[in-house]
Amino acid sequence: MKKRTNPESSASKAKKRRREEEDEEEVGCSHTAIEDQCLPLEDDLTFSDTCVALRMMRAQFPRIDQASTPPFILQSQLYSSVNDRTQVDRELECLRREKVVRVFKLNTGQDDHAIIFLDDYLNQVDRIVKRMEEKRQSDLEVFKWFKGHVLDSKLEPSIGHHELFSLLSLGGKVKDAHITLLINAGLLTRQLIDPDMYWFAIPSIGKLWKGLLQGRNELLSLLKRKRHKEMFLAELEKKRLRFSPLDVRFHIRDLIGSGHLKTVQTTSGLIVRISKD
Amino acid sequence: MWKAIKDRETGRIRSNSFANRFKSGRILSLQLSNRKDFVSPHRGSVNSLQVDLTEGRYLLSGAADGSAAVFDVQRATDYEASGLIAKHKCIFTVDKQHDNGHKFAISSAIWYPIDTGLFVTGSYDHYLKVWDTNTAQAVVDFKMPGKVYRTAMSSMAMSHTLIAAGTEDVQVRLCDIASGAFSHTLSGHRDGVMSVEWSTSSEWVLYTGGCDGAIRFWDIRRAGCFRVLDQSQTQLGIRPPILKRTAVSSKFYSAAKSSLGGQNRLKTLQSKHTGSQSVKGSSSAKASTEKSRQKRIHPGMLSTLDRATAHYGVVTGLKATNDGMYLLSAGSDSRIRLWDIESGRNTLVNFETGRIQTNKAIQLDTSDDPALVFVPCMKTVKTFGMWSGRTTLMLRGHYESVNTCCFNSSDQELYTSGADRQILVWSPGGSVEDEMVQDEVAEDKDNWSD
Repeated sequence: MKKRTNPESSASKAKKRRREEEDEEEVGCSHTAIEDQCLPLEDDLTFSDTCVALRMMRAQFPRIDQASTPPFILQSQLYSSVNDRTQVDRELECLRREKVVRVFKLNTGQDDHAIIFLDDYLNQVDRIVKRMEEKRQSDLEVFKWFKGHVLDSKLEPSIGHHELFSLLSLGGKVKDAHITLLINAGLLTRQLIDPDMYWFAIPSIGKLWKGLLQGRNELLSLLKRKRHKEMFLAELEKKRLRFSPLDVRFHIRDLIGSGHLKTVQTTSGLIVRISKD
Repeated sequence: MWKAIKDRETGRIRSNSFANRFKSGRILSLQLSNRKDFVSPHRGSVNSLQVDLTEGRYLLSGAADGSAAVFDVQRATDYEASGLIAKHKCIFTVDKQHDNGHKFAISSAIWYPIDTGLFVTGSYDHYLKVWDTNTAQAVVDFKMPGKVYRTAMSSMAMSHTLIAAGTEDVQVRLCDIASGAFSHTLSGHRDGVMSVEWSTSSEWVLYTGGCDGAIRFWDIRRAGCFRVLDQSQTQLGIRPPILKRTAVSSKFYSAAKSSLGGQNRLKTLQSKHTGSQSVKGSSSAKASTEKSRQKRIHPGMLSTLDRATAHYGVVTGLKATNDGMYLLSAGSDSRIRLWDIESGRNTLVNFETGRIQTNKAIQLDTSDDPALVFVPCMKTVKTFGMWSGRTTLMLRGHYESVNTCCFNSSDQELYTSGADRQILVWSPGGSVEDEMVQDEVAEDKDNWSD
């Protein structure tokens, strides 16, 4: 009973053991099951490990009211919660092809990918359109073309310039001003890798992105200052990060998955240690 | 072990599986050898190692101080500690003091695949030299337009003796030893080419990986590359699914990136290119304007328009498996990807690498049975299972970052070299004598009588 009312606090212990995690996954499912009652049972009957991990972490995403970003999950967090990384990659690919989730490449300089459920992303796009309507912007039909043609057919995180033009022109006559509007809204961005490619981006992610980078550094420096560069997981969880609006659990999962931290099982609980390699 | 021998005698195990069982056991117990040591004459980081392909006896190493050395792997030059430790000194070395020696670092040293009479070295002084082993003289020189990053010769070439050289120039050049001239120039990469590898299934196919992150497949009998690997074209599983529509990775507009083959791709690439020149207008009007304003591009050069990347960074290492079916690529985004060569797709096997060296090329190696990949990851050498991606062994011994791994499958030994100027030998732990002793029934030492 206690578990059902407090999924967040009990889920914090779940990330360590697979057995416990399966119990928590049931709880996570029941939460979202209420929302998804309209879907036929056939689609929702079985879950893959990755799918369940995604739903659980989405439920745990910290609620930040100033920034209206949809909850996202980093790929490294998935690696830390499911044992087999190859299985994670393949199941994620299946989910991507079925258009349940969308993958974005984040501009952090390392190989970071953020995963967002497609429904959340589309809600975000609608919110942006509404905000722009209030400001009485013109040329808003480009968002409709974007949602309808581009998002539907292009599942990769990047798109070439002429392909974007040709997909948008399926909706109507496209001008350069339309693409500028999309970039201003934060849906498309350019990265230094290739001057010809546009990358899909999560709108208004700036604050969280900065928080992600600074939070990682802060957590790593916190552990490096310790004498033996390690700390109990239970203690580490209780710390509050000064520079990041995302909570400690988010960063711990991310750093374990990307290999900067490793966990060791001891007789008094799990210890988190900076990995030497 | 005696039981295994008896089973082979009685026919319960076949001789192949008997041999493989021992080999796998030995490979999985690799550790820093306490019996064998190479005395490295190099005074710079060792960038390249290769065991010769004909006998598996001579090891060729190339280092950053411009020296190349040859060692005998099987016979030691002298013994220490009353015969227990075998020291292998180099048989000869060619360095900067040599008449025609390289002036800057040697990045790649490979044996002539047919016999050990020749070897080829490529260096940052823009030269590729072919040396005669017996006289230790450079016989042919090729001047390249930029620093040579990697050289490769095909081990199964019956009709050509071409050296493929990847340099900091965007073109890959093929040099012919017989004529002393360049025979091919392969264009298509957009930045330098850091890794070159010949196919193990065809003597005409070359794989190159560039600093722009693209991996291209070239058939040297025709113009242009016939495939560019794209990391978003994936297949779930190590073999492509049979009897299914292969174009599943994304829905297409005008079959833009169909996986139906090179021909289709070239045609649509050409139409995409001309389409970008006439952007306005509805799609029906576009088709006619395309044809009227078609810019003529040679079909072989159409692949330059394909900007697909295999890695989000430089491709630092390439290795084809011995059966010619898979290609492993290592990139500076710290990822190793396994590609199915036949379908050209990413098999999504995730290798748990932490960080890989980003500024220099690394040399990977594979073992067939058990299927393992040896990868240098900063200061350690990690061994991964090829199909599962899990870490099997972590070999720590180098003091600085490791550059190359070379696996000698006949002895089940691994040779690695790095920036600490050492060449280390990793051999199977535990000798055969120890195993045989273990199997004997443990004597009861208290059971004696006078």
